[in-house]
Amino acid sequence: MRIAFATEENRGLNSVVSSRFGRARYFIIVDYEGGEVKSYRVEVNPGSEARSGAGIKAVQKLINEGVNVAVAGSFGPNAMTALGEMGIRHVGMSGITVEEALNRLKNQL
Amino acid sequence: MLEMAIASGKGGVGKSTVSAIIAITLARRRKVIVVDADADAPNMHLILGLGEEWEWEQPYSESMVARIVTEKCIKCGECRAVCPYKAIYVDEEGNYVVNPVICEGCETCSLVCPVKGAIVREETLSGMLRMTRTRYGFPLISARLEPGRPNSGKLVTEEKTKAKEMADDDTVIVVDSAAGIGCQVVSSLAGANMAILVAEPTPASFNALKRVHKLTKHFMQPAAVVINKWDMNPDIAAEIEVYARENNLDMLGKVPFDDSIPKSMAMMVPVTEAFPDSPASKALLEVARRVEAILDEWSSWFMRFRPKKPEPYRPIIIKPEGF
Repeated sequence: MRIAFATEENRGLNSVVSSRFGRARYFIIVDYEGGEVKSYRVEVNPGSEARSGAGIKAVQKLINEGVNVAVAGSFGPNAMTALGEMGIRHVGMSGITVEEALNRLKNQL
Repeated sequence: MLEMAIASGKGGVGKSTVSAIIAITLARRRKVIVVDADADAPNMHLILGLGEEWEWEQPYSESMVARIVTEKCIKCGECRAVCPYKAIYVDEEGNYVVNPVICEGCETCSLVCPVKGAIVREETLSGMLRMTRTRYGFPLISARLEPGRPNSGKLVTEEKTKAKEMADDDTVIVVDSAAGIGCQVVSSLAGANMAILVAEPTPASFNALKRVHKLTKHFMQPAAVVINKWDMNPDIAAEIEVYARENNLDMLGKVPFDDSIPKSMAMMVPVTEAFPDSPASKALLEVARRVEAILDEWSSWFMRFRPKKPEPYRPIIIKPEGF
């Protein structure tokens, strides 16, 4: 299971989940298996630099990274549609660290 | 931290006036930051009686335009012939020059240029981000675009990021959105905890209200409605009220048409200060008090007015790159 957390900071699993998806600065992409973090990496979200169409660029990034679940506070109309079409689950959560979010998520995965 | 976005879809219906009075009222008891998210026509500083004095201003650039390096240019004229925007001209000295205002950064010129490095792509000034403190105790974050430079969700995000950097846990951020339902308005609403939708009783504004309401439903945001100049057309005002009731939008109030509002704008003094006893001032203050009450009872209001289901969306298909 590969989960992408939208964040504004690059502090690994201690980064706080952003209130927004498409224009978040980073994605912390976590490989999560059997209730454990196997590995994670930090990727710059190309949507954060986009003048428009940020949501689509962000989803394209997650598709390329093979992500199964996206976590952020809110998702824009284009992002939501694209995630839905690609079968990437979206989970609304923000203001807590990636680690805390993983703890809350683990029973639902 | 709580973020509220004021939107209307249609322009000129009173978003900024409503935002200003709400911010001034809230700031008596709370920490408030106002974001003027309309960089095409920023006006919040004018409504609040501020001039063009800013505590800080910083250049904002995001557009890329072409520049011809005169020393390398062989003056073949290929670029000028292909430029779809006719942005390239020959100056008095016979040099090929790109007009950065017209250039869209499409790179057609660099594709046909036979000389390597004679046309470079560089950032151009899009506008300015700026901040000032108002005499009502809250800071105002605003942006101003250069003519012809496109407004963007990115610029609104930059403004909101500045606001969040200054905010505490209990700060209320009031985002006065631009008109429309495009990228910049999506960006104004994204991440907001609630929306206040302003309408006037005209078919155009009612229609725009429904369109922007789709966006707040998409974001699953609880929303409230203010009808401005309601007595200009009580019938449509009544229709808007019915729409609000049927769609679980909180009706915050109706502001009557009152020339104290344009007069106060000309004076650059908020109407509640310039003409405190005018009917519009009283109605606006009532709206602001209702907003205070919403914040006081936030969780119950949120549960009551949060959309029950999100707006359905139309399909967009993206495939993995390289497949």
